[in-house]
Amino acid sequence: MINSFILSGMGLRKSYGTLEVVKGVSLAVDPGEFVCLVGKSGCGKTTILSLLSGLEKPTQGKVTLGGKEITEASEDELALFRRENVGFIFQSFNLIPTLSAWENVALPLFPVKIPKDQQRQRAMEMLGKMELDHRTEHLPSALSGGEKQRVAIARALVNHPKIIFADEPTGNLDSATGEAIMAILHRLHAEDGVAILMVTHEVELAKTADRLVRMKDGEIAA
Amino acid sequence: MNLRYMAKELYYQRRRTAISAFGLSIGIALLILLNALSLAYRQAAHIPLKEIGADITVQRAGDVPEELAGAVFPCSAVTIRKEEIKKIGDLPGIKGMGKALLLWVFDPNRAWIVLGIDHENSVGPAVLRYSVTEGRFLEDGKPEALVEVAYAKQFGIKASDTISISGRDFPVVGLVDASRSTKIAVANVYLPLKEAEGLAIMSKQLQSVSPYASDDVNLLFIKADQDKISSIASSMKMILGDRATVATPDSFLKLLGSLFALSDKFTLAASLIAIVVAVLIAFKTMAGNIAERAKEIGILKAVGWTNRNVIFQLMGESVVQCFLAGVLGFFIALVAAYGLSFMSVSMPIPWEMSPTPHFLPGGGDQIFKTLQLPVAVPWTLAIFAILLSVVIGGVTGGLLGRHISRIKPSEVLRHD
Repeated sequence: MINSFILSGMGLRKSYGTLEVVKGVSLAVDPGEFVCLVGKSGCGKTTILSLLSGLEKPTQGKVTLGGKEITEASEDELALFRRENVGFIFQSFNLIPTLSAWENVALPLFPVKIPKDQQRQRAMEMLGKMELDHRTEHLPSALSGGEKQRVAIARALVNHPKIIFADEPTGNLDSATGEAIMAILHRLHAEDGVAILMVTHEVELAKTADRLVRMKDGEIAA
Repeated sequence: MNLRYMAKELYYQRRRTAISAFGLSIGIALLILLNALSLAYRQAAHIPLKEIGADITVQRAGDVPEELAGAVFPCSAVTIRKEEIKKIGDLPGIKGMGKALLLWVFDPNRAWIVLGIDHENSVGPAVLRYSVTEGRFLEDGKPEALVEVAYAKQFGIKASDTISISGRDFPVVGLVDASRSTKIAVANVYLPLKEAEGLAIMSKQLQSVSPYASDDVNLLFIKADQDKISSIASSMKMILGDRATVATPDSFLKLLGSLFALSDKFTLAASLIAIVVAVLIAFKTMAGNIAERAKEIGILKAVGWTNRNVIFQLMGESVVQCFLAGVLGFFIALVAAYGLSFMSVSMPIPWEMSPTPHFLPGGGDQIFKTLQLPVAVPWTLAIFAILLSVVIGGVTGGLLGRHISRIKPSEVLRHD
């Protein structure tokens, strides 16, 4: 059965020195499933996200992403794997300040050997999907918070990922903009069938997902 | 490596780019200037000899005449025999040779410094043909004289006058301003070499101190292959003996007394220090810049850039920055070199080469040739310096990129 999951983490543990922040967590996400990981600040949600996305290696446990076990992969193998299978959305947008909106979207494609005009075209399509056609040449400093996050979502989608990891994607936005961003994520989930694993501390937002997983003190709460 | 990303990073972070480039450019400018100065001193050392169309001058010291009457040789320049001249002429690397005969002539009412010149030869004092201020230059086979303009003014001699030297009359066909030319091989009166030979052969005083025959001389001017000057100088010393004075650009360089002139090692050491300083400046400023971009590197890695992608991107930026620094350094050096080219240096002329008797007023004074330092930045040096800065950029960018690419994206991207 485990093979049908797009993502699974089994018995994940993560320690920093003597401090254990993730204590034997097992979690799986089905293809096209929208899962929300909820918990208070400092409960280990972001660490779990890092472990499952291959940004960080667990001290113990196994992560399988898109049918491939990534726990023992090298740093460069993980980077290539992320490039082809994973999209990220961060709370603080994490756009490159010197690149325009479309260039930020095309960032995962820059090291890929595809023609520049195709890179641009794909980025433009994604920005169109985010209704940002009129902001393609603007630098992040000229965009509003909501626009920045939409650019970040476009970037997460540009490589047609199997799963998107979203870490507090509405955390830096006002409630109206946050709701708009959530609406976009739900639309992508519904229309494109992309799986989403979202971390949030806002239970109300999490309730809109297919499944809600609560975390407490580094463990999945019952 | 993505060129668009690189260009935008350098453009939008232009203050950062400018600071990095400027720091390195100072080191590069220093490197270029030190070498340009060293080169300028070397070229300056060629000037006194070049002005008489030669690379080497040769003379031989001898005894002081017992009595200063009639024509005598200065004790610093006695006979060089025609057999010796032939041997010197046969040395490998010699491209041309000019001869001259320097005489002091003590007539009852006047003393003359007379230089017999091989007036058709382009090597040696015949270059004075370009310094004639009045009348004309000497012509072949004619017993005529040129008079130095200051001497002519002092004694009221005019072109078209006739002067008498050792009882022989010479029509003055022109005046020459030797001060426009070199300080070497200057005289009051210039005669065709054959006429000066005649004066020497006839002088008992001269013959008793340093026997002289036709076709002998006491000054030689040599044009030689640049890379053989030192070996030719050594061979000439062997032919003429210990009392020979052989002046070469190297001997003038030593007289200049500057650290730049004295020591290749100094220039090399100073250049190495400039390079090390340049590398340290580049490394420090770029390390600071790259550290500021840790979060950006984390984003790149999170979205799928490999360590290699990151290293190449940073290396490319660093190479472009350092290339700009190299070009800027070149322009700074160019401006500084232009400023330094107005600097004058005084080149001491060895006393042996001074034609004036030391017992005459001012004759014992050290004479100097004042010349502007020919500071210029050769293209080869400029290209080397720019290539060096590109290499510095590549190495610095590579090392720093390698270091920063090891950061874990999760560490720098934790939400704030």
